[in-house]
Amino acid sequence: MTPAEVLAEAGRLLPGSRGTAETGVAGAAPAETVTLDVPRQDWLAALAFARDVAGCDFFDWLTAVDEQDHGFAIVVHLYSLDSGQHLLVRTLVPREDPELPSATGLFGGARWAERETHEMFGVFFDGHPGLAPLLLPEGFEGHPLRKDFPLAARAAQEWPGAREPGERQASERSRRRLVPPGVPEGWPPA
Amino acid sequence: MAAVDLPSPGRGSGMATAEPPAAAGPIAAGGFSLRVFDAGLACCAVEVAAALRRCAGLLTDDGLGADDGLGANAGPAVDAGTGPVHVLVVAGTVTDKLAPLVVAAYRDLPEPRRVLSFGACSNSGGPYWDSYCVTKGADQIVPVDVYVPGCPPRPEALIHGLRLLRGMGEQR
Amino acid sequence: MTATEPARPDLPPRSRGVIALLEENCTVCMLCARECPDWCIYIESHKETVPAPEGGRPRVRNVLDRFAIDFSLCMYCGICVEVCPYDALFWSPEFGYPEAGIAALTHERDRLREWMWTVPPPPAHGPGAPLPREAQAAGPRADPAGQPG
Repeated sequence: MTPAEVLAEAGRLLPGSRGTAETGVAGAAPAETVTLDVPRQDWLAALAFARDVAGCDFFDWLTAVDEQDHGFAIVVHLYSLDSGQHLLVRTLVPREDPELPSATGLFGGARWAERETHEMFGVFFDGHPGLAPLLLPEGFEGHPLRKDFPLAARAAQEWPGAREPGERQASERSRRRLVPPGVPEGWPPA
Repeated sequence: MAAVDLPSPGRGSGMATAEPPAAAGPIAAGGFSLRVFDAGLACCAVEVAAALRRCAGLLTDDGLGADDGLGANAGPAVDAGTGPVHVLVVAGTVTDKLAPLVVAAYRDLPEPRRVLSFGACSNSGGPYWDSYCVTKGADQIVPVDVYVPGCPPRPEALIHGLRLLRGMGEQR
Repeated sequence: MTATEPARPDLPPRSRGVIALLEENCTVCMLCARECPDWCIYIESHKETVPAPEGGRPRVRNVLDRFAIDFSLCMYCGICVEVCPYDALFWSPEFGYPEAGIAALTHERDRLREWMWTVPPPPAHGPGAPLPREAQAAGPRADPAGQPG
């Protein structure tokens, strides 16, 4: 299917979705990548459409983006081995209720991707056979890839660049930003 | 479809034995032979592999001249009779999840044993010192004898590091 | 490879082995310490007032007390060398400096100056390359390195 056909079929079968087709997305793919934004309740229907109608049967990756006030955007990259079509399927889950049906029923490759997304962002995938942590050690608290998870090491360590030229210690009177990149303003809390 | 859940990383048969099969073999020099066990955890593993393949001959008796500065005066405190010194080369980022396995690899090495830390990540955490899941240096979990700086160090830098280790003899 | 220095490969130009400091060029602007992604450059300095010459006024200048690079953290990205506006930092291809203790991997000013003597001259420009800005400013003289062939 051409990207235009994929968009047309998506518009017909997934009425709540919005789709675009553009180059330059999905890495170095020269062809147009179709991006489908679907509401949460159409998530499994969209993935089934991508696999069965659009022919994108290769599961590449699943991850989340912390959109802060808007919630978490869950993104899946699918690819068709036959036609070379790249497809990005996206949905948005609210921050207070980060839950989504699991894609493992449709794509076996989503098992580890959903485990990683769960431990890094705190998104719960309903129906996943075993949502145990994948990469983080036991006893790790928090969800590290959320934007409000600060890099504690950076806040605790003195930044060598905080000193002004000609001073031995970080100055209180500097007009320039004294907090290093990666540490939110006002952290650590006093 | 039958999905297989792969097991979490653990110690396989290759790491629990006293004779690590993945070792590069004895590197003999003046009676002090090193048996190098490469814990290749990340990018530095490629440089160690290149070094052990390409440059291992540099540490043999044939590769060193009498005036290379590490001749008879280096005084190998371990003579040929006591067998090889086992060197664990930690090459790559030590994550918090993998740290217990590095400790297990060290514990499984028979005496006499040394540790060589290869690359910035295993020296001090390197570029990932501020990460939420990286151990800031292999010396946090195992005693390190030689640190080789670099990101990654050249393969020849491993040879320099092993020569320093050999010259240290019994001292720690 | 000789028997005395067997591990001495043929290094390409601009090899990144270690960073050298030319202290005379450093004005303690702190750009390298700020831009270093690893925070491995430690700079301490103080201000000195140079007395006024005849008809002038006193000037304040920065004096470098400490300049250290922690090579156990350094990832050899070269951002410090690139960002230095005064060409005080240079790449040297020397790579064999392992240590038995991690503190010895922090090289202080004197050791960084020792590395300066190992910094090679910059490689010649390729054929047909434009003249460097300094040569252009000097006037339209022919620069032999810029000549093709």
